[in-house]
Amino acid sequence: MSGPVETNEAVASRDEMIDSLAAALPEWLPTQRWFGGKDREITAVRPVSWTTLLDGDPLLIHLVVEVEQGDRTEPYQLLIGSRQSQVPDVAATASIGLENGLTCYEASGDADLTACLLELIIAGEPVDELRFEREPDVELTAGLRAHPITSEQSNTSLVYGNQYILKLFRKLTPGLNKDLMLHRALRDVDCQHIADPLGSISGELHGEELTIGMLQRFMPDAADGWVMATTSVRDFMADPSGLPPEELGGDFAGEAYRLGKAVATVHADLATALGTELADAAELQRTVAAMTERLDRVTAELPSLADHGPGLRAAFGKVAEIREPVSMQYVHGDLHLGQVLRTINGWLLLDFEGEPAATLAERSALRSPLRDVAGMLRSFDYAAQQLLVGQPEDPDRTARAMQWARRNRAAFCDGYAHVAEHDPRDSADLLRALELDKAVYEVSYEHANRPDWLTVPLASIDRIMTEGE
Amino acid sequence: MPQDPAPDAALVGLEETPHTGEAIAEDGTLVEPQADDFGHAEQATSDPEWFKRAVFYEVLVRAFSDSNGDGTGDLRGLADKLDYLQWLGVDCLWLPPFYASPLRDGGYDISDFRAVLPEFGTVEDFVHLLEEAHKRDIRVITDLVLNHTSDAHPWFQQSRNDPDGPYGDYYVWGDDDQRYADARIIFVDTETSNWTYDPVRGQFYWHRFFSHQPDLNFENEEVQEAMLDVLRFWLDLGIDGFRLDAVPYLFEEEGTNCENLPRTHEYLRKCRETVDREYPGRILLAEANQWPSDVVEYFGDPKVGGDECHMAFHFPLMPRIFMAVRRESRFPISEILAQTPEIPSGTQWGIFLRNHDELTLEMVTDDERDYMYREYASDPRMKANIGIRRRLAPLLDNDRNQLELFTAMLLSLPGSPVLYYGDEIGMGDNIWLGDRDAVRTPMQWSPDRNAGFSRSDPGRIYLPPIMDPTYGYEAINVEAQQSNAMSLLNWTRRMIEVRKQHNAFAEGEFVDLGGSNPSVLAYKRVWERPDGEHDVVLCVNNLSRFPQPVELDLSEHLGFTPVELTGSVRFPRIGELPYLLTLPGHGFYWFQLSELGDEGERRSQA
Repeated sequence: MSGPVETNEAVASRDEMIDSLAAALPEWLPTQRWFGGKDREITAVRPVSWTTLLDGDPLLIHLVVEVEQGDRTEPYQLLIGSRQSQVPDVAATASIGLENGLTCYEASGDADLTACLLELIIAGEPVDELRFEREPDVELTAGLRAHPITSEQSNTSLVYGNQYILKLFRKLTPGLNKDLMLHRALRDVDCQHIADPLGSISGELHGEELTIGMLQRFMPDAADGWVMATTSVRDFMADPSGLPPEELGGDFAGEAYRLGKAVATVHADLATALGTELADAAELQRTVAAMTERLDRVTAELPSLADHGPGLRAAFGKVAEIREPVSMQYVHGDLHLGQVLRTINGWLLLDFEGEPAATLAERSALRSPLRDVAGMLRSFDYAAQQLLVGQPEDPDRTARAMQWARRNRAAFCDGYAHVAEHDPRDSADLLRALELDKAVYEVSYEHANRPDWLTVPLASIDRIMTEGE
Repeated sequence: MPQDPAPDAALVGLEETPHTGEAIAEDGTLVEPQADDFGHAEQATSDPEWFKRAVFYEVLVRAFSDSNGDGTGDLRGLADKLDYLQWLGVDCLWLPPFYASPLRDGGYDISDFRAVLPEFGTVEDFVHLLEEAHKRDIRVITDLVLNHTSDAHPWFQQSRNDPDGPYGDYYVWGDDDQRYADARIIFVDTETSNWTYDPVRGQFYWHRFFSHQPDLNFENEEVQEAMLDVLRFWLDLGIDGFRLDAVPYLFEEEGTNCENLPRTHEYLRKCRETVDREYPGRILLAEANQWPSDVVEYFGDPKVGGDECHMAFHFPLMPRIFMAVRRESRFPISEILAQTPEIPSGTQWGIFLRNHDELTLEMVTDDERDYMYREYASDPRMKANIGIRRRLAPLLDNDRNQLELFTAMLLSLPGSPVLYYGDEIGMGDNIWLGDRDAVRTPMQWSPDRNAGFSRSDPGRIYLPPIMDPTYGYEAINVEAQQSNAMSLLNWTRRMIEVRKQHNAFAEGEFVDLGGSNPSVLAYKRVWERPDGEHDVVLCVNNLSRFPQPVELDLSEHLGFTPVELTGSVRFPRIGELPYLLTLPGHGFYWFQLSELGDEGERRSQA
């Protein structure tokens, strides 16, 4: 246990507070959106380390806890605030009632307290075992207040004065964080399609390096790709003329094309920065095995997928038969329209962490860039169909949604091919397998989280299997 | 050997009025009218930076009002309508050329810089217009073409007939058509070369536009002086400034594209010096249809607040506004404004939605051009050269919501707005008229004969007024709209009034607020008042036809209250969280951000 040098008495009372906090967390954690372990009962929450960032009133403590759920133990970080003289202006869901009557709260929404995180990064001084660092040659503006972004799923991001964004990774993974590592690598090759990394917060867990947060340039002018695309879909579906998407004002193909170019550019930059290698036969076998294993797992949960079992298995199997060289490299790993930002200077890619559910080893593996392309193609399908979800079946509207998806998937691939000088559609077997694998993952995800949406990946699998596109 | 024709032989209808070349002095120079031959108008009130705040109104003399019943609008007719323009809130009239001209290029082919086109009236009539306008605190600027003249101009006639005379070197002559091969041909539809052979002089002359518009030779100091004297002539009469037409092309230089050359800028500085020294408070506005990053050069040196033109048109903004609304995305507008460099402190952009030319497509990329064609010109007749000739209302399907949204953006984006005559009542166009006449039909004043524009026999009108059921003058006219409180005209007048109450609209810094909803364009205009306080105006525009929510980061104005500007309605106070607004389809808001005390006392932001 660590903490600032304090009197024995203060340490004792702080220890007491942390202990009673830990006791309250099993009930509180599952109410938090970012908590990834909602599928199981919490058996114990153990404080691993804590650091006092602001002492006195108000109080701000950085806390790392281990959440034990049966045989699974995962570390999470929390910012804990406490005020005696004033009620903080944060959401009720943030407050954590303690047995002794003291009220603590998750402090990422308290701008008075979170301001110190940026100040610490600017100062570049460690606080106990937490290291606050600026990236080389970065100058930062001090004195900015932060507000949390509300749309986030698995992490918490604070925006400082519309200039910087600090992403606090909620579930912590020991080792150098892939998001930070790839951002640095891309920055070093002057990649134009990322938000520059500006600083980081790191610590240690059981003697291993741990990335806690990453500070990046914030793009206040930006809108995310999902919103951009669904705006276009909305207009297209509402248009009474029945004209094809290219004839209508809200056509998205120009954006999709430029997005394809941006993704291809990032792939090229990652290859320049971190190299490529060719997949050997064993790698392809492993890929097929992983895809098939996922299919089996999902089919067990959801027998309706079984009809497509043989077809899917055959499609995956074709990957092992690929004879032309398959280039592997670091990729984004979880690319979809929600991970790209349209700024006034073009598209940016965000969040290079990889799939949130994947293990570190999976996330860090060398992957084919086509995995990102497949992810984006899936996302266009989702965007096209989102207005159909929960609605009575309507073949005309479905056909219209597909019209939109087809046009924008093609435009994205055209843009990608323009930069990459090879068309992803030329690697049809691999791209198809990757897209189907992603759809299988989606089936599982929607089944667990949003049953209404299950029709989207199922319809896509159906279409790909029958029409081959 | 045939007698050389008189230098003014090609001037038509000026026999009775003073004009250039009616006599030749002993040294061979042409006698030209002087400002002292005419009365002068009193100046408008003194305000050297009036142009930064002005609402401009482009009006075609021919199309506005006919005072003498000959079927063509004239300067006296325009003067008669100044009360209306004052009522509307117009600060400055921009008149396209009204000079003597054979009218082969809409009057931009000037055959005498010192005479008025007879059908519009006389120089005296122009002084009358100025006098009446200034009484109402309305200023007047007009187009002046520095680059070239009509081939009917006595200068050109002298130049071709007497190569060794005083005008022999006034134009760019060459023995062949090979020089300056890198200069593009601008009017690709009609011209095949920038050189045309003149059989009279037996040489080629240079012209960047039509072959009947020879370029003046600015290498010749005498030409430079002669054009300064043209400026002085009108400035002496009391005019408030010039829109300098086709400025990028004044000089030529081998091996360049002959646009934006340093010597062109040098001459503009000379014009500016002359204006500042002899006629302070009058302005020069550059017409340079270029990217903003190139156009800023025409403002001159930022260190001295600009030492070339006071204003320049922002050309690419206009098609981007149309594109943004059609795409329901703010990016076309945000992008072009982000690419627009800062301008010197003593200068201002001019922005517009429509003008007498087409929807200019030169400033959009090929992709975008195809797109604009598709969206806005379903009928091929609507395309001309590389533009689209439509008025605002028909371009927007006569949708009142969109008309208001577009006008609100025109009045709140950075730059002085330029309204095009008739758009304030939502006039239509007539695409069956040739050339650019579709958008130059008579102003619709009333449901009376000839739309109240002229007392003449309808057959004599220069162009028929619009008569279709939607846009015809019986439905759309000033008289009807003035008496209807909810009309587009009264709405426009009210918005101009609101704009004038907040100098932030005119001079405030532009801050794009971005936001996660791409269909909403939100920006602040922040003006630091002379007393050091800030006037902050917030503009939120829904570019989508559907209702939209938007969350804006206004944390910089924590504790302030947005007060809606047309109705003074107070919105909820700005807190720490993003500020949520909802807008109806194509809706917009203008707010002032005010610090309100407990008793509701209103103060400005400290």
